[in-house]
Amino acid sequence: MDFALTEEQEFFKKMITDAVDRMIVPKAPEIDRKDEFPWELWREFGKLGYLGLRYPEEIGGMNADPVTAMIFYEQVSRGSVGFAQSVIMNVLMGTYFIYRFGSEAMKERCLYPAMRGEKVATMCFTEDQSGSDLSATRTTAVKDGSDWVINGTKMWITNGPIADMATVLATTDRSLGAKGLNFFLVEKGTPGFAPGQVLEKMGCRGTVTGELVFDNVRVPEENLLGTEINKGVDYLGEILDEVRVMTGAMALGISQAAFDEGLEYARKRVAFGKPIGSYQLIRAKFADMASEMEASRLMVYYAAWRIKEKLSSRKEAAMAKMFATETCLKVVDEVTRIWGANGFAQEYNPQRHFRDARFLLYGGGTHEILKDFLGRLIIGKT
Amino acid sequence: MNVVVLAKQVPDAESSIEIKGDGERLEIQQKFATSLFDEFALEEALRIRERHGGRVKVITLGAGKATEILRTGIAMGADETLLLDHAAFLDGDGYATALALSRAVSKAPCDVVLCGKQAVDDDRGEVGPMVAQFLGLPHVGGVVKLDIAEGKASAESLAEAGREVVEVSLPAVFTVQKGLNEPRVAPITGVMKAMKAQIPKAAPEDLGLDPAEVGRAGSKVQVKRYLAPKKRPPVQIIGGEANDAAREAVRILADVERLI
Amino acid sequence: MQPARQCGFSRTWKGSFRGWLVDTILVFVETKGDAAKKASLELLSEGRKLEQAGRFRMEAVVLGPLPAGLKDRLLSLTETLVHIDDPLLEAYTPEGYAFALAGYAGEAGPKMILAGATQMGRDFMPRVAVLLGCGIVSDVTAAAWEGDPVTFVRPVYGGKVLTEVSCNGFPVIVTTRPNAFGISEEGSRTGNLVERQAGVTADQVHTRIQRADAKPKGKVDLTEADIIVSGGRGLKAAENFRLIEELADAIGGTVGATRSVVDAGWRDQEDQVGKSGKTVSPKLYIAVGISGAIHHIMGMDTSKVVLAVNKDPNAIIFQYANYGIVGDLFEVVPAMTAELKKR
Repeated sequence: MDFALTEEQEFFKKMITDAVDRMIVPKAPEIDRKDEFPWELWREFGKLGYLGLRYPEEIGGMNADPVTAMIFYEQVSRGSVGFAQSVIMNVLMGTYFIYRFGSEAMKERCLYPAMRGEKVATMCFTEDQSGSDLSATRTTAVKDGSDWVINGTKMWITNGPIADMATVLATTDRSLGAKGLNFFLVEKGTPGFAPGQVLEKMGCRGTVTGELVFDNVRVPEENLLGTEINKGVDYLGEILDEVRVMTGAMALGISQAAFDEGLEYARKRVAFGKPIGSYQLIRAKFADMASEMEASRLMVYYAAWRIKEKLSSRKEAAMAKMFATETCLKVVDEVTRIWGANGFAQEYNPQRHFRDARFLLYGGGTHEILKDFLGRLIIGKT
Repeated sequence: MNVVVLAKQVPDAESSIEIKGDGERLEIQQKFATSLFDEFALEEALRIRERHGGRVKVITLGAGKATEILRTGIAMGADETLLLDHAAFLDGDGYATALALSRAVSKAPCDVVLCGKQAVDDDRGEVGPMVAQFLGLPHVGGVVKLDIAEGKASAESLAEAGREVVEVSLPAVFTVQKGLNEPRVAPITGVMKAMKAQIPKAAPEDLGLDPAEVGRAGSKVQVKRYLAPKKRPPVQIIGGEANDAAREAVRILADVERLI
Repeated sequence: MQPARQCGFSRTWKGSFRGWLVDTILVFVETKGDAAKKASLELLSEGRKLEQAGRFRMEAVVLGPLPAGLKDRLLSLTETLVHIDDPLLEAYTPEGYAFALAGYAGEAGPKMILAGATQMGRDFMPRVAVLLGCGIVSDVTAAAWEGDPVTFVRPVYGGKVLTEVSCNGFPVIVTTRPNAFGISEEGSRTGNLVERQAGVTADQVHTRIQRADAKPKGKVDLTEADIIVSGGRGLKAAENFRLIEELADAIGGTVGATRSVVDAGWRDQEDQVGKSGKTVSPKLYIAVGISGAIHHIMGMDTSKVVLAVNKDPNAIIFQYANYGIVGDLFEVVPAMTAELKKR
């Protein structure tokens, strides 16, 4: 079995790692501290062209396969989660359905500029009363002539308040539950579409997360993203696994950032006349962290490979996301312990990784839902 | 304006380096990067092309993995590359290495040759001036500002006596240092191009050289042994209030160490 | 592209033909106005020791203008002083100096050619090596002259590792780092002056000085300084470097800076001590408000005595210092300056 990245993937990794180290890492503490969207960095980074990496070369992308995409998600997250969340939203969820189903005019207006970082994209699922339970979606889309009229409020939307375009999940018939869901494209400037309250978060500060309000928002027929009506959940299934593995990759990035801080500290911090890395209990922590990160890494990239090879990946993706996340939470915890009192100081990075990691618990699916799903899958119909 | 960049792949700044076998050899962690000063050379070459047109070629002498810095060069925008990775080229002293590189440079006409003022592994700083002498060209060392014109160039370096601006005819060799420019981050289009690029290679015969003239065989300087630098004794902390500590420090430096 | 113009002597000449019993060493004396550079004086001192041991005879070589006062001084430091002059050597150019020195070496047949590993030395001596077809060992910090072959120590990887090297063939060109050797008390010699024309033609030199902005007089270069007072980010603002300057003035030192303060625009690139700046080797290095990042350490770790002042007791710099003060530099540094002024 050849577990190695190809020479091309290794080179890509080197280049994105370099870009992250030079452009994002130095700015990460400030992005977190100010909790403001880093527009200048966004534009600079957008110019490099990475935001389009998942889409075909012919339209300005890179045709990156899922494995290569994971390398990207991991590295950007290692740099700054506050920035990465917005970037990744533009790269995948916020633009996918426009790419998949949008008209050429729509792509010109929305997709291509988003790929260049000239516009900000988002995808809206979550509502006040529905997170994991999509069938409880209350945002409605009602046909009126040849248009659709959308009403509802979305919450916890990454990039929401600054989005130029939103892929909105709405139901045409609440009695159908999950089978009545559809994606609609709503663009900024459409009457009735407005940002609502911005949420202040424990972590991932920098990215703007908030409410989006749809008050009798009228969009033309072509803004229903899909070839058939009420197939939203099926379409979501096309990228669901990738979104989960991607969350796992983000977990890897955060783990690595924290781990590296822990390592440097253990080598340099002196206690009782020796660097603390000389002591067994500290060594044990690194042995555990490194082992679990290694396992997470294998799971994440294996799941990505399965997606790339078009093999069934629902199970592997859910497992990878969960395992990498649980590992990350342990790593960021251990690193703050290794740092002692300094792990508590806002001045240093470990506390930022500690706070940032918490989003992994709900992003890409809560573990309670994922475990139930996996258990059901394994045990089978009872 | 055809520009050639001589770049070297060196161990990453974070790579661990250990002396093994009683000083016989070094064990170096296999993580690599472009030598710091060569990054400025590569960026400057691209800027010269942006201003004057022409082509940028990157040449490196190094074992297999050295293709990485050539790909990095392409990702940043270089037009051509050349890899001297034949075993005979390796482990040479400044002379043997400069001989091989100067022949590689002379394979095609060029106006400007750029390289870092020294490689951050060997710290010799010999190759740049030597390549210039082999090619019969002038050179300017430690450049922090470079203005290229038709047939000549104006180069500013930080001389010990102050800043010095020198005019030199082209073709010429320039060794560069920090302060010259800020290297760009490669855009994805460049990364994609680099990932697919074919890297041409050259063996000694292709450069009109006998294997015995280059690399370790052609070297006059040999490393006999590796040694660890002398370690300083553990620090003596001078305690007390600021004023007292300051006074004590001066006393130690003047009366004990006799330095002032 | 023309191949290098050979001086006609390099390939066939194999060894020294004169001084049957004793080999010759040439010491290139770099001059700055009417003074000789420190590294050159160190080499003349080493050369005199080797002469006394009977191993070599030494010739000091000066290229370009030689003021009368300096000439007299040098004649008291060496048996033979060779002055090679030419209008084309009026100002330093790598090509001109290399041709002139290599030309004389071809005639004198030395076993070794020594020069300071100053900016100039490291700039043109490699060209001399190519002209003579010989090896060069650059930036040497120690030498075992009595060995056969002579072995040298030079740092690599920014000083993380030292290498012991030897060079075969003749001559061997060596550049030595300033402060690597001491300057012993000079006996008084009465040397002979030998005047030479360089034999460098105009078509061999394609470099012309356009402008030289001299530093304010009296400023010792960091690479030659005996005492350096360096400041880092702990100073908090550019204006606070005043404290460093005052201490440097009081102690007779040169001001240095870390990469982060240079990048922040508080000091010039030429003040930077470190891997991407200057490598220094003073007798005393005072590091103020400097954390001790490895790239800085690489630039100053060969300093004989290091005193560090930092408010963080865990700062890495203390692992590379002989003496340390854990305290507020804004109190400690002025206090030191005041104390020094009292003495």
